[in-house]
Amino acid sequence: MDPTRLLGPDTPLGLPAPYWFTVFFKVLGFTLHTIPMNLWFAGILLAMLLRGRGEHARTCSNRLMNQMPILIALGINFGIVPLLFTQVAYYKVFFPATILMAWPWFGVILMLIPAYYGVYFYAVGLRAGRLAPAHRTAGWVGALLFIAISFVFANGFSLMTNLAAWPALWQKTSVAGAPLGIALNVADPSLWPRWLMMFGLALTTTAAYLVADAAFFAVRESEAYRRWVPGFALRLYTVGAAWFALAGTWYVFGTWPAELRQMMFGGSLAALTALTALGPGLPWALILAQGRKVRRPLALILALAQVGVLALNAVSRQVVQNFELRRYLDLAAEKVNVQWSPLVVFLVMFVAGLGLIGWMIMKALAAARQPAPAKG
Amino acid sequence: MHYPWWYVPLLTSPMLIAAIAVLHVLVAHYAVGGGLFLAFEVRHAYRTHNRPYLAYLRQHAWFFILLTVVYGAITGVGIWWTIGLASPLATRTLIHIFVFGWAMEYVTFIIEIVAAFIFYYYWGRPDPKTHEAMGWIYAGAAWLSLVLITGITGFMLNPGAWLKNNNFWLGLLNPQFVPQVLVRTGGALLLASLYVYLHAAFKIKDPALRDLIARRSARPALLGSILILIGGLGWYAFLPESARAALMASAVLTVFTALIFATTTIVFVMLYLGPYRNPGWLSPGFAILLFILGLGAFSTGEFIREAVRKPYIVYNVVMGNQLLTEQVAKVRERGYLESGTWTKAFVASQYPGVMDGTGIVRERLRALPEADQLRLGRLIFQYHCNNCHSSTLGYSPVGHLMRGWTPEVIRATVPHLGDVNIFMPPWLGTPEETEMMARYLASIAQPRPKGMR
Repeated sequence: MDPTRLLGPDTPLGLPAPYWFTVFFKVLGFTLHTIPMNLWFAGILLAMLLRGRGEHARTCSNRLMNQMPILIALGINFGIVPLLFTQVAYYKVFFPATILMAWPWFGVILMLIPAYYGVYFYAVGLRAGRLAPAHRTAGWVGALLFIAISFVFANGFSLMTNLAAWPALWQKTSVAGAPLGIALNVADPSLWPRWLMMFGLALTTTAAYLVADAAFFAVRESEAYRRWVPGFALRLYTVGAAWFALAGTWYVFGTWPAELRQMMFGGSLAALTALTALGPGLPWALILAQGRKVRRPLALILALAQVGVLALNAVSRQVVQNFELRRYLDLAAEKVNVQWSPLVVFLVMFVAGLGLIGWMIMKALAAARQPAPAKG
Repeated sequence: MHYPWWYVPLLTSPMLIAAIAVLHVLVAHYAVGGGLFLAFEVRHAYRTHNRPYLAYLRQHAWFFILLTVVYGAITGVGIWWTIGLASPLATRTLIHIFVFGWAMEYVTFIIEIVAAFIFYYYWGRPDPKTHEAMGWIYAGAAWLSLVLITGITGFMLNPGAWLKNNNFWLGLLNPQFVPQVLVRTGGALLLASLYVYLHAAFKIKDPALRDLIARRSARPALLGSILILIGGLGWYAFLPESARAALMASAVLTVFTALIFATTTIVFVMLYLGPYRNPGWLSPGFAILLFILGLGAFSTGEFIREAVRKPYIVYNVVMGNQLLTEQVAKVRERGYLESGTWTKAFVASQYPGVMDGTGIVRERLRALPEADQLRLGRLIFQYHCNNCHSSTLGYSPVGHLMRGWTPEVIRATVPHLGDVNIFMPPWLGTPEETEMMARYLASIAQPRPKGMR
């Protein structure tokens, strides 16, 4: 069956914003979401593995897990924007793909609640100074559930562009033409390297975060811990970058069609591809440059460089996604009916919100210099 | 019909929306009202130098964060997740109308999260004024998120002037906007007090402190009850006629409406006689009873709000069976199977013989064997009816609703679905599709119960 038969008509309302605006916020939102998402994807597992591996490793694990509830809350909320704008511009493929795999997709919510509470329960145990087996189990459950969630996401977003697989998945998993929602995109050869590549990237983000944390937030930790961090982060970043390179090679040379490779390696996109592939080299070098002492200016540049790595990945990913869909959809051809005044109000609110958040964080940093009061 | 229909045996997929939505609103309102409670009460505790009360508020803030930031936030995202799966056309339509409303709400969410965490995790470190400010910022952002989402849910019930000019602001500030904001603000105040009572009744041993909390939280709760009643009257006044007809015609909705007014009144009286006049009454048992009554009233209210919209998901914009109202006439003309993206693809893949290259040939449908007509009848049922009905077992099963109907009665009823019952979308099929649907329905209709005279 020709999969384009499964694409519904254009929205009669027209898109509420120009395509470039939608994609800009989709990519920006995804980049912001990726920062905390990387930390829970690889960070929780890392924190679990680091326990019992020496004093500094335990401190590192404790710090990550103490911060994790906040990181998860931010990550979930940062995830709203890219998904919202995906639904605006890519509605023709997003809804059918997720409906074909509705139960796993719905399962994200069912997994997220115990995963988040598991992490919180672990953090409560840490704060009480007593990690019972139940706390450790909750931490592991959280780590594994977040990995499972990432797998479902990789499925959803790869199925969104893998229209060729839709007819067979639909016919195999439907009752009288209505899908049961139990499909997964596991037969797509690009799924596994994509998913693994993101894990490699998550390891690098976690490594960069550990350095930034040691530089800016771990003021109450020992000097010895802060000296330990760069060495450990360098090893972790090296593993992550190697993982990213291997999975990326598999993804690009093992699953991309020749036409896509040609496009990404030629013309103006060659620079983007090269920067995306080699980007992790800069944060790696910046961690190396830290030496045995964490330095704040370098740590700040490292954090920004890692955000740059994530942004480059998000942009490349968007270019590839558009390529994969262009056989089926002409995204730029849809009628646009710009809602100017709500758009402007949103932008004003967005900027004002950023200002307010900046003010609150300044106040929090000032408060952090005060001693913590006793509870009760 | 332009998207695949998610078949959830027994339950029907929209019931998953209802389940998640009810679980969410019970905490979401607390997320708003609880924010106001914390902001007001922290201010009071600082000004009166009441250290035990401050200590309790810190305890309560932890309970509040665990419940609202984790469960409340995830179930909120969960509603969005589920509507995209079970109601894709309505979701797409609402997103194309209100994407910037949701984007604004997203800004308020981030502000809420940052403010809530600083408010709790930095407790006692900033000066009281800054600490209070964090509480107020959280409360303001949370209330604003309530206002924005209420604009969208109000729109679903009565889009008002948007139907004429598709203007974002007219859609957001629809006739249901003010009444529903009043109801939800009142609900947030009321529910927050009930959560506070429940928490305090178990956590506080000092009777003087418990009395203080009982008395202080009674006022916003009583105010909330009054706002619910005023907003409820406004909600009724600005209902479209079809929704009012639904309230009148459905026995379940009539009972539920009476129930919600009765429980709200009982809660009001209990609050007045209990925490307000006799704060000593606040025991765990009393708090649990109040809490259950409050949750009962809320869940009932949400059920009514959803149910009165039938046969629409968005009044006069999207029908319950995933079709834009403006497309009804065209679909009737072209045929249901032909008009639906996935129904047509199903026919093309399973019965290529009935296609002529571009579309379905009606006469060829008529010539299909009985078993295939039944199969296509079931396909139509899935896409046309499964939004609200299971087949023979589960939620509102059609097989049982048609108990004892003869094939002739079924055949005569199908073309007039929306006339027989105005809460059902109109029938959209051609005569051939009517026949296939009637055959399928006759195959699942249960016999008339034995023993009836």
